[in-house]
Amino acid sequence: MAANFWASSHCKKLLDQDEVSKVAQADLERGFTPEDVKLMKIQFSSYIKSIGSNAKVRQRVVATAIAYFRRIYTRKSFSEFDPRLVAPTCLYLASKAEESTVQAKLLVFYTKKVRPTFTSLFPSTDDKAYRYDIKDILEMEMRLLEALDYYLVIYHPYRPLVQLLQDGNNTDMTAFTWSLVNDTYRTDLILMYPPFMIALACIYIASVLKEKDTRAWFEELRVDMNVIKNIAMEILDFYDNYRQIPEERIAAAVSKLLTRM
Amino acid sequence: MDGYEKLEKIGEGTYGKVYKARDKRTGRLVALKKTRLEMEDEGVPSTALREVSLLQMLSHSIYIVRLLCVESVDENGKPQLYLVFEYLDSDLKKYIDSHGRGSSNPIPAKTIQSFMYQLLKGVAHCHGHGVMHRDLKPQNLLVDKEKGLLKIADLGLGRAFTVPLKSYTHEIVTLWYRAPEVLLGASHYSTSVDMWSVGCIFAELSRKTPLFPGDSELQQLLHIFRLLGTPSEQSWPGVNKLRDWHEYPQWQPQNLSRAVPDMGPDALDLLSRMLMFDPAKRVSAKAALHHPFFDDLDKSQF
Repeated sequence: MAANFWASSHCKKLLDQDEVSKVAQADLERGFTPEDVKLMKIQFSSYIKSIGSNAKVRQRVVATAIAYFRRIYTRKSFSEFDPRLVAPTCLYLASKAEESTVQAKLLVFYTKKVRPTFTSLFPSTDDKAYRYDIKDILEMEMRLLEALDYYLVIYHPYRPLVQLLQDGNNTDMTAFTWSLVNDTYRTDLILMYPPFMIALACIYIASVLKEKDTRAWFEELRVDMNVIKNIAMEILDFYDNYRQIPEERIAAAVSKLLTRM
Repeated sequence: MDGYEKLEKIGEGTYGKVYKARDKRTGRLVALKKTRLEMEDEGVPSTALREVSLLQMLSHSIYIVRLLCVESVDENGKPQLYLVFEYLDSDLKKYIDSHGRGSSNPIPAKTIQSFMYQLLKGVAHCHGHGVMHRDLKPQNLLVDKEKGLLKIADLGLGRAFTVPLKSYTHEIVTLWYRAPEVLLGASHYSTSVDMWSVGCIFAELSRKTPLFPGDSELQQLLHIFRLLGTPSEQSWPGVNKLRDWHEYPQWQPQNLSRAVPDMGPDALDLLSRMLMFDPAKRVSAKAALHHPFFDDLDKSQF
């Protein structure tokens, strides 16, 4: 597992905190703050997940799509790349890359279906986002491929999680840690850390919360516990401060997107 | 695509036409692979996407055909993707055919040794990066005759994997090079399927004709069993639990050298390790590179 990941483009492109939270120039000019960007990414991660669940794609496809989405906005601006089109297109690309293609017309259908639960992202029916169609997705597909530089292989924490839980005889925590891993996609962690480290941080949080003593096991792994704790802090910060985001804060961020310049 | 002058069509890939072309800026010869839009409304074919992303990961190796760049162009309002590869003048099938049939004009032993080393280097590189090729065959191995180079191409069926492996679809490897576990419907298989193909190619280089030219899945299995003996629970634990396992005629293993009379003892030993029935016992690409067969190869040239 490790050998595969270490040799991958995903590994070579890991970013640091400054790189992932930087606000693009075009977005700064529209008044976007780092906090706005963070909220938008969280909300659009939920949006992708919701379309994905409706389309009944595997968790892996959703995770890959969110990783693409987040990677794109480390390179491009929201102003230039409308996230309301980028989000379903990321799911489209991820479904192809993960060998379970969802037809573009179905994606358009499910995008429309989940829209009522994301009203803050679609404030006005006059908006072009209401009329995004198959051809828009196909056009955006090309732009995203270029923006991603055609690097589409993403490694996720799920497989290492299962292996690590087995190794430490902690399979009773599978369901709980799995849902923690799911929630790490509400953050930029997948762009910043090797997947097995994210998996370890989830096991770490779970053992603290479930009062399981995994200290000896962690010690044997000889991993940098400071890194694990940093990742864990980031996850806990999400739960403390961003699990419920007030609609108006999202709406305020989206309104900056719609300002005519 | 104004920057390229198309010279001739050189083949049909898994998902589109391939042209020999000249890069007008540099004068360099390239292979242009145009993606075919399978369905009107589904954009870039997923096979092309997978090939591009795998090549991005792998093509810095000299044993993998180099992807120079990707060009996206709008043709009649439809997006088209062109993959621009380095151009090589031949492939291994053409190379083998150019030596004709029969025992006259064999492929020089030194060439076989060098090609096998480069092939194994390329396969080891893919496997080390978590990618299995799944469709290794002479047509997919490009050859530069002058420089004696061999490179792996056509990664459209390759798949990045992470252990443990889950079940994949069965219709993948071209029949003649298809591993027995795939033919028998194994739901789990891994990099060792490529090593079976490598073995078949090794034998073909020596014979100049395919080792197991089956024309149906059953015929393919019978070809294999007639030479290597019908597998049993002893030679391959778990074989009779495979989905498509039936009772087959009981053949005894033949002496492998009857199929490849020109092979020396080291070559035969390596081949026999590649053609192990049990995937778990089959030699890995990395281990094969250290086999005595390559001891007298001048590795400084690679």
